[in-house]
Amino acid sequence: MIVVDRLTKTYGAKKAVDDLSFTVAPGRVTGFLGPNGSGKSTTMRCMLGLDAADAGSVTFDGKRYSDLDQPLTHVGSLLDAGDAHKGRSARNHLRWIAMTHGFPESRVDEVLHQVGMSEVAKTKVGKFSLGMRQRLGLAVALLGNPHTIILDEPANGLDPEGIRWTRDVMRSLADSGRSVLVSSHQLVELSLVADDLVVIGQGKLISAGPVSDFMTQHAKSWVRVVSPQFDALAELVVAHGGRVERTQDGGDFHAVTAIQVGEIAAANNIVLHELSSQTGSLEEAFLDATDASVEFRGESSAAQNGGGQ
Amino acid sequence: MLSVLRSELFKMTTTRATKVILGFAVVLPIVIYVLTLIFAFDGGVMESPAVVNIASVAPLVALLLGVVGVMCATQEYSQGTIRITLVATPHRVRVYVAKVLTTLTIAVVATAVLLVFTMLSSVVILNARDVQFELIGNDGRVVISFFFLTAVLSVFGLSLGLIFKSGPGAISAVLLWPTIAEGMVFGLLSAVTGDNYFRWAPIQNGFQLVSEYIMEDQNSWTVSALILCGFVAVFVFAGASLFTKRDA
Ligand SMILES: Nc1ncnc2c1ncn2[C@@H]1O[C@H](COP(=O)(O)OP(=O)(O)O)[C@@H](O)[C@H]1O
Ligand SMILES: [Mg+2]
Repeated sequence: MIVVDRLTKTYGAKKAVDDLSFTVAPGRVTGFLGPNGSGKSTTMRCMLGLDAADAGSVTFDGKRYSDLDQPLTHVGSLLDAGDAHKGRSARNHLRWIAMTHGFPESRVDEVLHQVGMSEVAKTKVGKFSLGMRQRLGLAVALLGNPHTIILDEPANGLDPEGIRWTRDVMRSLADSGRSVLVSSHQLVELSLVADDLVVIGQGKLISAGPVSDFMTQHAKSWVRVVSPQFDALAELVVAHGGRVERTQDGGDFHAVTAIQVGEIAAANNIVLHELSSQTGSLEEAFLDATDASVEFRGESSAAQNGGGQ
Repeated sequence: MLSVLRSELFKMTTTRATKVILGFAVVLPIVIYVLTLIFAFDGGVMESPAVVNIASVAPLVALLLGVVGVMCATQEYSQGTIRITLVATPHRVRVYVAKVLTTLTIAVVATAVLLVFTMLSSVVILNARDVQFELIGNDGRVVISFFFLTAVLSVFGLSLGLIFKSGPGAISAVLLWPTIAEGMVFGLLSAVTGDNYFRWAPIQNGFQLVSEYIMEDQNSWTVSALILCGFVAVFVFAGASLFTKRDA
């Protein structure tokens, strides 16, 4: 169980993490979401005692990271796949880390096998693709067989197969009772594996809880209708306080439920070819929730805003 | 603590850059020394005691071991491994002490290897010319000073590495200060004040430790050692406090 309590970290005048609190429960994958620059990596560095927080605390089963005895046996982390000497072999990279805890060399070979890198154990890290380095980083995180795992954007640079493999590893870690915290700026990546979501924007908490709660709070829902008498129905729905959006063969009604629309249609003998409840994707919900806190806007939206010159 | 030390030593022996510099620090002086020894026989007579010649390569060895010290710190920052190091051992004082001990161990072992090789080759070459190799006068002190100098300068390098975090910056400092900057600074001081400030140049005092004889206008061995250590201590303190406190 990880408890982050009112964590705050500033760099100069920049508040990277702002009074952030959340928990990560065992047996579950907790997705840590936020746009680029929202403070995910900073939070993780503060959790591991790499950066000193200005205020607040992080505890792992009640203990601060720096107070853990043999920390790698409690918490495994992957912050950046690039954190390895390019001139060392994969095996030697794991060996120097294992030495700090007195792990036997057989443990190094075990994790290499676990991440499917036994064949390239003697290859230098500099020769690896980003995907291979992510795997090696995961091997480092698993080295001490920890009950808590912290991964910062582990899917970055992976091909779809690699992403799926990472997802399966996280799932099985959580299923064996471990606490897994995994960050991403892309909800799609996590929506398939996360049980809980912690969403942040500009260092502040936006939402925390089960994925389904996040959906009902932030995802849009509407009613899709296809009908030969659509215009007549639309007039009636608007009279009941709904909003209409025309599509090619019918339209969407907002601010009303499917039940309401169905009853209005029945009461007025209107023929319906389709009546269905629709919900926006998780991605849309995420973009919606973090919209106000996106620090860097993409090229396209910048062009839209600044167009016309 | 021992496990952290083992890990640090292992890190140093598994990168090519450290091996290359270490090779230079040991092999280059041996080659220079052997060549000097061969040509030192001018008309069948040795100009100076063998150990004096061995000691003449000490500044070069000490500076190169200073570079090895730098790399014990900067390789971690340039390759990002510092984060893993500190995650594995959050107790930073332990990591710091392990790095100091690693640097010292490498310096002492490298110096020992160098001295054994140079002395053995002395014995071989001198015997071939029917000359007896023996330790005379202050030779014993020179040998001890050799170890002392390389040990102190390697920790000097480590400290600069921890302060700068960047290899090029710290290596420049460790090489340029003793060879060029120190002379300029103390030369300027001497010119401005009219006094001989060279006497207080810290690294020069360090280099003097390995000389067989101390001139009248030079500091005694103890004073020179204190000046060197005092100077290096400032950087050791700065390096240690920065390393244990700042964000990684
Ligand atoms: N070491 C640092 N020094 C100064 N600013 C930093 C540092 N690390 C992060 N920041 C700033 O803090 C904010 C959060 O960054 P980060 O935690 O990397 O975000 P994320 O991981 O969510 O993309 C950004 O604005 C970033 O520029
Ligand atoms: Mg990040």
